[in-house]
Amino acid sequence: MRAIAVAMIVVVALVATAAAQPQAGSGRVIVDPSSGAVAPALGEPPPPVAQPPLPPPPPPPPPPAPALPRALAVGVAKADVRAPRNDDGRHLVVTFTRAVDVTAELATLIVRRHHGTPGAPPRYPELIDPARTPATWSPIFIGADGVAVGPIAPGDALGPWTVVALLQGGETDFTDQVEPGHDYEYVVAEVQLDHGVPVAASPADAIGPRRPEAAWIHTDRLGYLGIVLLISSFIVLYVYAARTKRDLYIRRLPGVDAIEDAIGRSTEMGRPVLYVTGLEDIQNIQTIASLLVLGHVAEKTAEYDTDLTVANYYPLTMVVAEEVVRQGYTNAGRPDAHRPEQCLFITAEQFAFAAGVSGIILRDRPATNIFLGCFYGESLLLAETGFVTGAVQIAGTAELTQLPFFITACDYTLIGEELYAASAYLTKDATLLAILKAADAFKIIAMVFILAGVILATGGWFDLADRVFP
Amino acid sequence: MKKTAPLVLGMVFGAYALAEFYIPHHTVGALSDEFRSWAAILSAAAFILGGINILQVTWPKIRRREDDWPYKVVLLAGAAVMLVVGLPWHRLGAKTSTPTVVRGAPAAGDRAVVTFDVADDVTYQVGNVTGAGRGRPVAVEVAPGEVEVKLSKRIAGYRPLTTKLTLAAGDTITVRGAPPMLWGRDGRVFNWIYDHIFGPANATLFALLAFFVASAAFRAFRARSVEAGLLLGAAILMLIGRAPFGGAISSVFPDVAQWLLDVPSNGGRRAIMMGAAIGAIATGLRVIVGIERSHLGSD
Repeated sequence: MRAIAVAMIVVVALVATAAAQPQAGSGRVIVDPSSGAVAPALGEPPPPVAQPPLPPPPPPPPPPAPALPRALAVGVAKADVRAPRNDDGRHLVVTFTRAVDVTAELATLIVRRHHGTPGAPPRYPELIDPARTPATWSPIFIGADGVAVGPIAPGDALGPWTVVALLQGGETDFTDQVEPGHDYEYVVAEVQLDHGVPVAASPADAIGPRRPEAAWIHTDRLGYLGIVLLISSFIVLYVYAARTKRDLYIRRLPGVDAIEDAIGRSTEMGRPVLYVTGLEDIQNIQTIASLLVLGHVAEKTAEYDTDLTVANYYPLTMVVAEEVVRQGYTNAGRPDAHRPEQCLFITAEQFAFAAGVSGIILRDRPATNIFLGCFYGESLLLAETGFVTGAVQIAGTAELTQLPFFITACDYTLIGEELYAASAYLTKDATLLAILKAADAFKIIAMVFILAGVILATGGWFDLADRVFP
Repeated sequence: MKKTAPLVLGMVFGAYALAEFYIPHHTVGALSDEFRSWAAILSAAAFILGGINILQVTWPKIRRREDDWPYKVVLLAGAAVMLVVGLPWHRLGAKTSTPTVVRGAPAAGDRAVVTFDVADDVTYQVGNVTGAGRGRPVAVEVAPGEVEVKLSKRIAGYRPLTTKLTLAAGDTITVRGAPPMLWGRDGRVFNWIYDHIFGPANATLFALLAFFVASAAFRAFRARSVEAGLLLGAAILMLIGRAPFGGAISSVFPDVAQWLLDVPSNGGRRAIMMGAAIGAIATGLRVIVGIERSHLGSD
């Protein structure tokens, strides 16, 4: 009986041991060396229930293996940054030489930053390897979290740096547009691209600081300044000659002479005069020349009491034309005859303008059409329509492509410079005629210059044009 | 004073513009840019004067029932219509810029399904997938992730509807919407009038040029003088040299035609260009200096 009781106690104890949970700090513990778990010793009361320590969380998956910056062995050489000649102070030119041939996967990266940018740690995406010495930079394209940077493009920020160019055409220079008055640093490196993503770069030195330089005189344009000064001096000379009563001979311009005859014909026929100022705005020199002639035409039509219609392509031209016509009527002593409706704004669409003016020609049947100014593809439409109505037509333009059309369809054509000379020729004013003489005198100088240039260049001695007009 | 002030202003600004060509410094250029902006504003404001001028000229002719007055009515009506349709009326009121997106019950599968329930004149784009509506729902399978959805009209003048969707595997989404019509320069009506009325009329007038060239050439090539005879001879050589059969007859013709262009024609062109350039400089100088004043109007 005693044996049975002992056996039951042992069984119960074993069951209790199996069911009991170990608790630290309570009685003697048995440490399982394999797991580190503890269990109460046999015969001890079961420890209070407690949570087992949580298993450690699984380690995070390793970050994607970044395409570590494989340093390209060959970078650019002789990289330099300088302010270009005759610059407005907004540009810096980056020049370098490439040691390897151009390939589709190789590009030249140019980045820039303001000199003296605070030395905050580069942010993602990081461009500069801080482990390197300050003098030698190595662009890397791995962000702070180990992720490779995506495709880069001009304008992208790489930390404190800005991508200004990614040259893939084998270029060896680049003109960067910058703010004037600041110092800049540049880094030029060759980069290996993988589907547009830079994966490796060559080490490169920082260049700078460099500051753009604004020039006060454009030395390459001194030749042109010489022309203007030469013409100006001729003008002064001939104006002086004109005022000392020296006779100035100006060759006849039949087209300009015909203007008065044509206005007289209009008067006799009782039909209006149509004047078209061309298809360019007021700032075009041909339009200005046209408006200068318009004043004389308006004066003549006022004298002869003939209707004048002025067709304009731009409203600003119309406003000026209206003033010019008013002045012409005033000069003729007939300001009362002037009507603002004489100057029309047709439209600023090329062929709509041609249609509008053709409509005026066909409806009003002007006996004189004067087309002076800048014309394009509509020139023949206008001139042929005028030809159909039997009008006397006088045209003038400096547009080479339209001159054949005007010559074909019009009675008189002022070719190029004749358009500019017409106003002075009409006034017979000595000062204005002196300017025509000055231009003619300069033409002789130009011809001598061209002849000398041809001889020198043909003989291979000297490139005159290149020296004077670089 | 009315003439002197513009004269002085013209001299100052003209001299400044001339000097700018020789002084590249950015401060000079910045001021010139400012002047050009003023000129652009003046030029734009002058269009109001242009409109007033059209009314001043046209309305009395309509009132007096002058010849062809119905055309003037068409002119004014056309201008009024373009003015009305050229204003961006769509900016008034509520703006619809996103399509309606309805999420359905998730389905099995590792891709999302976007169904476009749009009219057949609407094109859709989801991610890189594009297609056209068919007037009935069209389902497109898309990889999960963030995608941009865009609905556009096939024709110009409508505002596209766009939205961004974050798609998970098994998502089923229905997109509906009709891009709203725009007004103004980019609007439907303006574009329609331009494309269907102005464009063809413009092209028609331009095409007439071919017949005008033919009639003008016929007149010009009548050999009534030595000069006209030379012109006719050069024109014939040029026609033969440039036409395919000229080369087939002899290789001399194309060479002669090219020589005519390169040597006599080019020489004449350059002479005209140089003369015109010198004339332009002289004209510019006499306007800037104030010797020429007839463009300044009355005192």
